[in-house]
Amino acid sequence: MQYEKILLAKKDGLATLTFNAPDRLNAVSRKMVAEIKLCWEDLAADSSVRAVLLTGSGRGFCAGADLADPDREASATADSGAALEKYFNPVIRLMRALPKPIVSAVNGVAAGVGMSFVLASDIAIAAKSASFLQAFARIGLLPDGGSTWFLPRLVGEQRARALAMLAPQIPAEQAKEWGLIWDVVEDGELMKTATELARRLAEGPAMSLARIKEAMNRASGNDLGRQLDLERDFQRELGRSEDFKEGVAAFLAKRKPVFKGK
Amino acid sequence: MDRLFNPMIRAMRALPKPIVAAVNGVAAGGGANLALACDIVLTARSARFDQAFVRISLLPDLGGTWFLPHIVGDARARALAMLGSSVPAEDAVRMGMAWQVLDDSALMEEAKKLAHRLAAGPTLSYAAIKQAINAAATNTLDQQLDLERDSQRALGRSADYKEGVAAFLAKRPATFTGR
Repeated sequence: MQYEKILLAKKDGLATLTFNAPDRLNAVSRKMVAEIKLCWEDLAADSSVRAVLLTGSGRGFCAGADLADPDREASATADSGAALEKYFNPVIRLMRALPKPIVSAVNGVAAGVGMSFVLASDIAIAAKSASFLQAFARIGLLPDGGSTWFLPRLVGEQRARALAMLAPQIPAEQAKEWGLIWDVVEDGELMKTATELARRLAEGPAMSLARIKEAMNRASGNDLGRQLDLERDFQRELGRSEDFKEGVAAFLAKRKPVFKGK
Repeated sequence: MDRLFNPMIRAMRALPKPIVAAVNGVAAGGGANLALACDIVLTARSARFDQAFVRISLLPDLGGTWFLPHIVGDARARALAMLGSSVPAEDAVRMGMAWQVLDDSALMEEAKKLAHRLAAGPTLSYAAIKQAINAAATNTLDQQLDLERDSQRALGRSADYKEGVAAFLAKRPATFTGR
């Protein structure tokens, strides 16, 4: 598959998806989101991929939906629900269901649905100069891409309302303090740090990482009683994996484990 | 409780308009939780948020046992309720119980400014945000994505959306009418 608005590179189990419309701060055009969706479908189907790194080329991470998109008039303004139904919501569902860790390297502004992409990933690391913005209310919309669900769970009910209604631009350090993202590093260190982390996850115990992700997904709808049952079932299954045997053996021998994802 | 307080909290959450609290002094017991039921809480530096209930052998009410874990997380919620903690304004902001702390003398002016800004904003958008975040607490992500789709579709037909996009593209401030 040849992409135009994104870049996809796969190496040693790590796939790197880069939003690639740098002259638009990677604002998402109709064409780009169609490619993003195809790409996540590919990453889900490709068993050689064990972790995904998500980033943007140029100065921005992703500036949200491209309001100046020439393709836009035809569909979105007529029905802004249609683009969500056809592209954005499937992308968010694919990201959450992907049984592999997704690391976001937020290299610049993450606005609107661009911020939702960050919140939908598993681990987000931002450059110090990056910022986050729920821009939607500025143009009379509500946060989408799952942000009305992610925000209250990440920053609590109160801040979620303020972030959505007041649409302030949040610096990376503040985002970390509030738990919107995992870490902040110097701009020049971002890609190195995020790539190392993603590579480590790609070499990690894949079944464990997949079950961690699924358990966290399910926790938000489960009561504790059901979650304990789910942990029991998942742990039983993981306890029979080769990676568990290797992990225990390596721990006891005080050596580094070599996981195979089996 | 059944006749007065709970209907009030329900009405506040269901109100399709933003509610700003300006907490000018101690907010204790039901007063603290009344603040937590608002959408955006500004607090004076000298104010406190006091979960006093346990000191008189009660449990937090007016939604306190729901708001606290949804705002500050489970661990802090249990401590605040069981210890009957009195939280200073700065800590309340740090924990997410309030959006912003202001000098006592600046509180009312800033709160009015914010409330005026919201009153002049895209009303339908605020209503949709409020309704969506209310629903998010019990929805699965899947259900919430469908809700966002439907709400966004409705907002996409509003005059304020057309104005918002036009203003964004023309790099001028938007003039919203609430329609």
